[in-house]
Amino acid sequence: MTSTACASVAGDRLAGFLVRFLLIATVLFLVIPIAISGILSFDDREFIGPFPPTAFSLRWYRSFFENPSYISGLFVSLRLALLSAVISTVVGAGAAFALAETRWRARGLVEILFLSPRFIPTVVIGFSMLGFASAIHIFDAFTRLVMGHVVITIPFTVRATLAGLVGVRRGLSEAAISLGAPPWRAFLDATLPLARTGIIAGALMAFALSFDEVAVSIFLTDAFTQTLPIALVAEMRANLNLTVAAVATVFAIIAMLIVAVLDRVAGLDAIIGRGMYRE
Amino acid sequence: MNRLSRRMLLRDLGAAGLSGFAPFTGIDGALAAQGEQLLVVMWGAAWIEVCRKIAEVYSAKTGDSVAWELHAGGAMAIVAKMKPLWPHVSYNLVSGWDPVFRAMIREDWVLPVSLDEMPALKDIPPAFFQKNDKGELVSVPLSTSGAFWGYRTDLVDSPVESIEQLLEPRFKGKLCVPFPVNLTGLLMLTLAVQRGGNERNIEPGWQFLKELASKGQIGRVINNNSEFIDSMSSGETSVAFFNIGAWTTVRKRFPVKILSRLKDNKGYLFNEGFAVIKNDDPRKVAAAKAFANYFATPAINEQYNWPLGEGPTNPNARANPDVADVFYSPQELTQYAYIPDYEYMSSQVDAWAKRWEQEITPLIRRA
Amino acid sequence: MSMSVLRRVLLSPGLLILAVLVVAPITLMALESLRPFVGGRAGGTTGWTLRNYTELTQPAYAYYFWDTFRIGFIASAAALLLATPLAWQAARTTQPALRVLIFGLLISLLFMSLIAKLYAIQMTFGPTGPFAALGTLIGVPARSPQYAQVQVFIGLLHFVLPLATLMMIGTFQNISPRLEEAASSLGAPRWSVALSVTLPLAVPGLLAAFMIVFAACISNFVVPLILGRGVVLFATNLMYTRFSDIADYPSGAAIGVIMLVLAGTMVYAMTAIVRRLVPADVQR
Repeated sequence: MTSTACASVAGDRLAGFLVRFLLIATVLFLVIPIAISGILSFDDREFIGPFPPTAFSLRWYRSFFENPSYISGLFVSLRLALLSAVISTVVGAGAAFALAETRWRARGLVEILFLSPRFIPTVVIGFSMLGFASAIHIFDAFTRLVMGHVVITIPFTVRATLAGLVGVRRGLSEAAISLGAPPWRAFLDATLPLARTGIIAGALMAFALSFDEVAVSIFLTDAFTQTLPIALVAEMRANLNLTVAAVATVFAIIAMLIVAVLDRVAGLDAIIGRGMYRE
Repeated sequence: MNRLSRRMLLRDLGAAGLSGFAPFTGIDGALAAQGEQLLVVMWGAAWIEVCRKIAEVYSAKTGDSVAWELHAGGAMAIVAKMKPLWPHVSYNLVSGWDPVFRAMIREDWVLPVSLDEMPALKDIPPAFFQKNDKGELVSVPLSTSGAFWGYRTDLVDSPVESIEQLLEPRFKGKLCVPFPVNLTGLLMLTLAVQRGGNERNIEPGWQFLKELASKGQIGRVINNNSEFIDSMSSGETSVAFFNIGAWTTVRKRFPVKILSRLKDNKGYLFNEGFAVIKNDDPRKVAAAKAFANYFATPAINEQYNWPLGEGPTNPNARANPDVADVFYSPQELTQYAYIPDYEYMSSQVDAWAKRWEQEITPLIRRA
Repeated sequence: MSMSVLRRVLLSPGLLILAVLVVAPITLMALESLRPFVGGRAGGTTGWTLRNYTELTQPAYAYYFWDTFRIGFIASAAALLLATPLAWQAARTTQPALRVLIFGLLISLLFMSLIAKLYAIQMTFGPTGPFAALGTLIGVPARSPQYAQVQVFIGLLHFVLPLATLMMIGTFQNISPRLEEAASSLGAPRWSVALSVTLPLAVPGLLAAFMIVFAACISNFVVPLILGRGVVLFATNLMYTRFSDIADYPSGAAIGVIMLVLAGTMVYAMTAIVRRLVPADVQR
């Protein structure tokens, strides 16, 4: 081999090593708190003491099932997250498609506009939404919550779809049109499926963020409509309460199981999409 | 142990918006449409736990039912929720403490209570009540509480006799203090009193605080009970100033000395309880007052305060022995207790909080 | 239905929601920020004043804004740096099991409560934790106030890393592996292919991901609240105090308006700079 070829092979090895190191470090970094949170959920102590815990018990799991506000909060949160994610994804993905297709000068500005709800802390959005909702005489807590949660999740669905649309050439839909398809069919059959991963990523993020949202919900809940995070936080203000760790562990496991089951049943790629270049 | 009861299940269904299913589940409408339904705002953890028990008995007796909403945000978060909605606020009773009551009084949201309507209040010392401009009673005090200095005796070698000692090097990074917004600036007050000031002359307190901050004595600044319990229990800090409810939780597991009888400082007392919120429906108002009155009766007042680590307001109720040593006999009150002008203090919290942000946090950060 | 009509149909619900649910409340908030606050009352009283803004010109407040944007920026950059290899691996791997594993990990992280993760981080990286030595490694002892910044950085990173990775997977999937293969077959080493072929094509996706991650970081208040030890305060925490503890809505609203303007300007500037540096939209 020539010297430059040797150098590039060496460079490749180094780069490969670095990337692999980064990958493993990242995965470890992500996994360790999951594991610790799992251990925490069995911690018998009522404070965050030194690791490892000295005594273990199921108290936090028990406290979750025995407390009515947690259970009712769970149902409210699920309904709310589902509805907000659906609305947010439909609206956000649609907007992303429209934006990606245009050559407007103002496109950058409109993109930032869609990102703007995330520049303001969620506390303010919650508070302003409360004022706004009562100004237009919407006093139903669930409706208010949907309004607030849709607003804070739209930036994610728009951006995720935009990120997923990178590389999807306008030429594809134009080709479809030139072959005689009406524009809306070109959109549905050519563009939409290719961006599927981005859309689904956005939907998942919207659901997860709505499910976990506290600051917006603090202002918008009422006595009959409380979300699970609000119930957890309310209990945690007064006394350290690790039920949140138990809940988190349960959800993490459920999520992993769902992914595994989906892959078994339908194939993950079929659902999430493989992009344009299926292997 | 199966703790599910028909009552709880019906409550869950109602809260999940599925109460329409109740007839189908075979539960006869035990809770539905028999008495008034009250909406009460209460704190979580030990508070809601004991309140649910009390409310269950009450509902069985009177037929009124109670729906609970928990304080989830800061002390004034409930005010933030009520202000934009007023007058479409459906709360009947809001639990709070003296400064929050004052804010609600100023906003004109509370109804006066009279000793004729609520006979259990006759036992409660008059000084505990908040009054409006007309001199009417506008709060229902249920707990006496206080904020005190204290330390963990297993982490501090020699006893602390005065908080001036906190400037010593051995306490570097060991202090746990609340933000001024918590306890409505009682921290500022105690530091001021140490140097000869009071709530209207708070400047000596700022001087003392700056000395503590620049020397690096402050290990953590806390926001709520949970952070306090965490910091003191894990040993991150060993000396603190906070409310007795939180101290009691730490005391259960660790040896703690509460400095409620200092020679050169005081214990700062306040009351917690209910405020009755204005409502167009006179039956709801009557039901709310009856429920609040129930809490003020000796037996219930005792039951309510027992797990909270606070003292009862009804003198005929026994105090939990765990905290009895902290509170004062009537003779000791003048010597050791300080009841601040909460009206004045709550009007200053904003300025104090901003001054803390501007002057103190940078000092702590740099230490 | 023509393309432009279709575009308008797709865009209008989003714009409508923006107009109604975002612009209206923000306008209310901006109006509130101009009202005077009287201590002890709830919210602003009648009249107009600029005092809420002039109060914030104190130099101490500049530090809080600076902390927010600085730590947020570093956390976002780190998130993108770590997300890219992970996302690329998930997109390009030929082993389906690995793909499922990575997705499973990301999605389960998304569904874990942030608060639980933060407690876990406090237990692991906090002063009493087993990884507290990390602090001494980088020259910031775990007990010092500065370490709180490190903890907040770790907390934010944990919050946004799954988000960034998920978005980047979609991007990488739509970049043709053929291009990479072609470049390698011409003799370029793989790192050169990555830098000169894949990354430039991925830039719009990187930008989109960075913007949202950055926005999520600066608007977060839970992380500094739990991990900041009262020493690291974001502008968001200042606002939370004002809304939740003091009922000083005008001041909180003023901070909100300033954040909105600052963040919007920064994002616009960053987008413009990146678009100029990297020839954008190769396919458009």
